[in-house]
Amino acid sequence: MDVSQYLEIFLDETSEHLQNLNTQILALEQEPGNMDTINEIFRAAHSLKGMAGTMGYKRMQNLTHDMENVFSEVRNGNISVKAGMIDVLFQCLDALEEYTTNIRENADEGTNDNEPLIKQLNDILNGGEGEESGAAAPAEAAAPAAAAPTGSSGGRKWLDIKLGDSERSVLKGAIEEGKKVYGLTVKVQESCILKAARAFLVFKAIEEIGEIILSNPSAQDIEDEKFDLDFSLIVISDAELDQVIAAAKSVSEIEEVTGDAVDPDSSAAPKEEAEPAKTEEAKPAEAAKPEAKPAPAAPAAPAASGKKAEEKKPTAGKPVVNRTVRVDIEKLDTLMNLVSELIIAKNSLVSASAASGTSNTAVNEQIEYLESVTTSLHESVMKVRMVPIESTVSKFPRMVRDLQKKLGKKMELYMTGEETELDRTVVDEIGDPLMHLLRNSADHGLESAEVRRERGKPEVGSIFLDAYQDGNNVVIEVRDDGNGIDTKAVRDKAIERGIITPEQAENMSEKDSIDLLFHAGFSTAKVVSDVSGRGVGLDVVKSKIEALSGEVEVKSKLGEGSSWIIRLPLTLAIIQALMVDIGNEKYAISLGSIQTIEDIAPSDVKFVQAKEVIQLRDLVIPLIRLNEILDVESKKDPNDNLVVVVVKKGDKQAGLVVDELIGQQEIVIKSLGKYINKCKIISGATVLGDGEVALILDANTLI
Amino acid sequence: MDAELKVVGETTQFIVIKLGDEQYGIDIKYIDNIVRMQHITRVPKVDAYLKGVINLRGEVIPVMSIRIKMGLEPDVETKSSRIIILKLEQQGTIGVIVDEVKEVVTLENDQIEKIAYDSKDDKNSFLCGIGKYDGGLISLLDLNSVVLENV
Repeated sequence: MDVSQYLEIFLDETSEHLQNLNTQILALEQEPGNMDTINEIFRAAHSLKGMAGTMGYKRMQNLTHDMENVFSEVRNGNISVKAGMIDVLFQCLDALEEYTTNIRENADEGTNDNEPLIKQLNDILNGGEGEESGAAAPAEAAAPAAAAPTGSSGGRKWLDIKLGDSERSVLKGAIEEGKKVYGLTVKVQESCILKAARAFLVFKAIEEIGEIILSNPSAQDIEDEKFDLDFSLIVISDAELDQVIAAAKSVSEIEEVTGDAVDPDSSAAPKEEAEPAKTEEAKPAEAAKPEAKPAPAAPAAPAASGKKAEEKKPTAGKPVVNRTVRVDIEKLDTLMNLVSELIIAKNSLVSASAASGTSNTAVNEQIEYLESVTTSLHESVMKVRMVPIESTVSKFPRMVRDLQKKLGKKMELYMTGEETELDRTVVDEIGDPLMHLLRNSADHGLESAEVRRERGKPEVGSIFLDAYQDGNNVVIEVRDDGNGIDTKAVRDKAIERGIITPEQAENMSEKDSIDLLFHAGFSTAKVVSDVSGRGVGLDVVKSKIEALSGEVEVKSKLGEGSSWIIRLPLTLAIIQALMVDIGNEKYAISLGSIQTIEDIAPSDVKFVQAKEVIQLRDLVIPLIRLNEILDVESKKDPNDNLVVVVVKKGDKQAGLVVDELIGQQEIVIKSLGKYINKCKIISGATVLGDGEVALILDANTLI
Repeated sequence: MDAELKVVGETTQFIVIKLGDEQYGIDIKYIDNIVRMQHITRVPKVDAYLKGVINLRGEVIPVMSIRIKMGLEPDVETKSSRIIILKLEQQGTIGVIVDEVKEVVTLENDQIEKIAYDSKDDKNSFLCGIGKYDGGLISLLDLNSVVLENV
């Protein structure tokens, strides 16, 4: 079966399931008895197994199968959740992650069988079941052997059908009468519209030559079309297997029918192709499962509860049906580019109509209408591209848990604002920097439990990750209640590393000292640890965030903790900007960073330390003469009032002196390309309505 | 490029441009477009040979001066000045200013003389060979070293 076309979906869904498992297992660790969590875990593991099986990734399927076994026992109350078990489960998730990465990179799951893990899982099963039913333990242990041949044919899902006692006796009776029992899995073509009708025809065709004992999903569910693309049957018939399969295949729009003889003693173990030894092992394995399950819960009605478990399954895979469409991010980028083009065209139209001089009300009205349409179109496309940062941050609790074990410190991660939305590209990129910061907090920030006790802090350190929207920015704050930054230690280290001279260190402000942390090749950890301290942390964080047009700010108080504040723009592609004239050139300044625009008389300009400043509502704001920075001749009379654009960056402000204001405009940011990248104060360029290129000033780098 | 030049009997097409009195050839496979001189938006704080950026059908393209890069007199804009848009693997799309675009010539490989490495001086290091055509000589530009950033 060619499954390559499903690879993308498989990878996407696998990542989702793995993430879900991570979250749920963490929750399980907190609340070992929560049945909802356990069920959710079971469902996710089950879906993973099914998906891996369909795609033919045997090793992945084996591992998930064993995990599912453990969860299933937990669900049935046969095993209680222990700390050791959670660790093993997490290791399994890591192994699955590895498989997924391998598959993503070279469409192959790799060759790591992860046998130690499988053994550990089985140990858990053995340990847990010893008291309940001795027989089930070895049976479960042998299960992976059965799973291996199962995986090879992909769709042998009838193996999942659990037989109740009554069905089993029917099957046995049939065999005694000389009839044969088959397991069938029928796969409907993806394009099939009336799946239920096709299924009905299959039922009918088979019933002509045999009897359908059991189906998965149940006959009712199949009739209601509550199945994905395949369903499985247990059939009694006088006919040969080939005939039964042929009967099922005679129905049109059936993609594939797989089948095999079934031994009722083992609910469904393949007779052929597996080596005899393995099959022998496998049979009791599969048989034991349905028996073991109902035993503790309702020994009186084994058949009934067996059925219940079976009925649950079809609904398990897809909890709530979301009306969503998966869209390739590239398609969205194309859409975004087209919207950008449209806005440029609109701007050209506006300036063309202004240039023609004729004021035609009808034209103006239509242009205004066009403007509002393009603006809302842009907003809608932006919204489509926005995703909650949850997808990125939800892996952090797990990471902090691992760090806790690795570093031997007690800590807790508190997250808020996971629903805050950011452009998809930003969300994808922000994960690594955040991870660095969290590790940094855990490793360098938080003190060891003993030190914390001495200082009168709670033993368990807290790390906070807060995200929220602030105007046109999204702020993500990583905070800890640890030691804070020891600026003296930072300076000493910087001197030692030759980054600054001792004299420079003397005159350094707290803030400058903290900025040293972002210097390439700086690491304050005395011991290089596994977690952080390779000196490639914070400078990478900074450059990454700056690449996303964001910025990092650090606040710290020695002994009380530090907080790292990341500001990111909501969107990267289209912004509202103020156009200004400087000399004969036009520049754009992002409206987001502008605070006010002031008209200042030359006499109001004061000097502080030989630098020009203005006083504005009790604040002293340094002046930056853009014409000097940009090497252009100002065409303004020096005696005229200054036009000052006050911009802010965090809590710092600066006044940019420009020649003239042109107006506000929606601009499309275009990169200058990597060929011109030396100019830090220009963050990009935009094409104006008249076709000219204007450069975008990055106010952040000017302050 | 060198490898291609060695193959006997192969031909390469060049666009012949003029910088001052000298003729230069640019391998046609790198040329995306030739546009008339237009307003170039200056970018502050960059090397002098980077003249700025232009708008080419909605895309912002950097433009450089070969003259300044090669240490010749600065460009004087005339009616025949053109911007040749090059598409390079590493640097992406770049425009270069030339005084005049003359013609397209097809050179047999035996019409191309490679430049000996030891004779490289400043200007020659931007060349990858000399083409003999119609009794004249065409200096063939090595675009990668032309657009390479000054170290």
